[in-house]
Amino acid sequence: MDELIKDLSAQEYKEGFVTEVDQEYVPKGLNEDIVRLISAKKGEPEWLLEFRLDALRRWQRMTPPQWGHLKLPRIDFQDIIYWAAPKRPEDRPNEIDPALMETFDKLGIPLREREMLAGVKPKGEVAVDAVFDSVSVTTTFRKTLAEKGIIFCSFSEAVREHPDLVRKYLASVVPVGDNFYAALNSAVFSDGSFCYVPKGVKCPMELSSYFRINAAGTGQFERTLIVADEGAQLSYLEGCTAPMRDENQLHAAVVEIVVEKDADVKYSTVQNWYPGDAQGRGGILNLVTKRGICKGTGSHLSWTQVETGSAITWKYPSTILKGDYSSSEFYSVAMTNNWQQADTGTKMIHLGRGTRSRVVSKGISAGHSQNSYRGLVQMGPAAEGARNYSQCDSLLIGSLCGAHTFPVIRNQNPHAVVEHEATTSKISEDQLFYCNQRGIAPEDAVALIVGGYAREVLSRLPMEFAVEAQKLLSLSLEGAVG
Amino acid sequence: MDNRVYIIGRDSVPQYLRLDAGEELAMTLVVPPGTDVQLALEIDLTGPGASLDLAGLYLCREAERVDLRVLVRHSSGGGTSRQLFKGIVGGTARAAFDGLIYVAQDAQKTQAYQENHTILLSDAARVESRPQLEIYADDVQCSHGATTGYLNPDELFYLRSRGIPEAEARRLQMVAFLAPVLRRLPEPLSEEIYAGLS
Repeated sequence: MDELIKDLSAQEYKEGFVTEVDQEYVPKGLNEDIVRLISAKKGEPEWLLEFRLDALRRWQRMTPPQWGHLKLPRIDFQDIIYWAAPKRPEDRPNEIDPALMETFDKLGIPLREREMLAGVKPKGEVAVDAVFDSVSVTTTFRKTLAEKGIIFCSFSEAVREHPDLVRKYLASVVPVGDNFYAALNSAVFSDGSFCYVPKGVKCPMELSSYFRINAAGTGQFERTLIVADEGAQLSYLEGCTAPMRDENQLHAAVVEIVVEKDADVKYSTVQNWYPGDAQGRGGILNLVTKRGICKGTGSHLSWTQVETGSAITWKYPSTILKGDYSSSEFYSVAMTNNWQQADTGTKMIHLGRGTRSRVVSKGISAGHSQNSYRGLVQMGPAAEGARNYSQCDSLLIGSLCGAHTFPVIRNQNPHAVVEHEATTSKISEDQLFYCNQRGIAPEDAVALIVGGYAREVLSRLPMEFAVEAQKLLSLSLEGAVG
Repeated sequence: MDNRVYIIGRDSVPQYLRLDAGEELAMTLVVPPGTDVQLALEIDLTGPGASLDLAGLYLCREAERVDLRVLVRHSSGGGTSRQLFKGIVGGTARAAFDGLIYVAQDAQKTQAYQENHTILLSDAARVESRPQLEIYADDVQCSHGATTGYLNPDELFYLRSRGIPEAEARRLQMVAFLAPVLRRLPEPLSEEIYAGLS
């Protein structure tokens, strides 16, 4: 085994290329003028500018949180470009810059709506909102969706075309002053996706957002707002990549999800930001606030995440279970290699009676990485008959990495039940020997065992994503064992 | 192996203990009803092959504030630690258990287990449990489990349908819940705790 665990070689990050497009930027730094400039560039209404300025003032009084089990490099918030966008003809959206088209093609994201064959129902199609640095370049299948009354567009468009909806729900789940990075995002957020599924509508296809950081010296601050009205149903995917650079780049997003009575939302993430090189240089700092609220009776929200990228991940997709008998799940695979650090987990806040939640977290650490699960399960005084089950497993590959579990369980109701268990272990010699003996090479054997270990989570992902995620896991493991 | 029993509020409890190579320690902490306590205990397994068997119980019926912090640090390889903490919390009491298992990079072949179970008896009672693992070595077996819940009504029904009065049945349920820790105590003390459960 010792022989197997050799020094980690730099794995290949195939999304690490840079696209040459004409970009326009706002000046470096952050102050009221910059916020006004961003707002003006996006042609925003007065109320949104006020919202941003309020957030900026709050942010200026806040300090970055220190409680994560992370060694964060000092971030100079005045040394970041807060808005960068590809220049393009004004008559959008007739034509997408071919260079951009190529970029997304290379990443395997279809920006052209595939032509339908006569009489053949398209199967497994995905509507995509593609965000390049600070702007959304295109959103596909909008017409098909609009026929059902579903709104799926970039956040900026939603502000222009559906200001009432945006105003009603914006910051209703993640308040402006929620935390340092959420306040920063509220001040400078660029683009993101907006999705509204009306009463009783089942979304006919997967919705997805694809985020790409391209410009150097910038950060990405997208904002996503998803609203599922009564009885609606949708499944949403999120993917992300960035070029290889020696400096750290900041990604501070906010995702808000509102789930009304009997609605069902499934939110999946495959996070593959550039993780930095084998020496721990560069990589994305992924400092994200994601939260959903199960507002109505019987609503349901499911989080699935596969985290393989980013130099640092600080992310806790959470659910507030407010509606009676609402339920939520959190399935996570977090894989860290080389010098990556991840501090991720979930919060399940049970307020309504009979609410249920389930947490399954699988951490995998290799190389010199540190991987932590941090979670909160809270049973409020009114959470009569609520139930939670959490399971957090950690797998260690190599003797230089760390795996940590920091759950908090808070129970304020004598008729609520919380169960939590966690284990830490490594891939046993016996398992490896068994595979080797049957002619499976050590690296394949590790990939096989890790795949089996993460299966419970991966099987929750939509089909195409599951295959992709499995590949991503074995790719991230490359070089972890000889 | 000697089992050292400490009654919080009556005995003085060490704040820091060190276990050298091959040393074994069994220790039981008892927080009787009516005791407010803020306790921080650190046990360091510095020598290879040291072994720790730690258990505790806390009983809160009124307005107690119980805050237990236990840090078990494995700084050397081949050690074993086992922790079991059980609590019954009623009235307007607040009880918190914070237990960290720390395994240093050199502490290979460590086995560390921790369990914390609590039962809530009343609407106004609050419990918090923070079982934590911080692990820097790979060839280890570590796990923790935590539950909070209430006395099972099915069990209660079973006992009552066999003619056991409700109060007595509840007491039996609590005794059964605490039994793994109670049986580590000297008889007079466990008798006293029995009597206190009502």
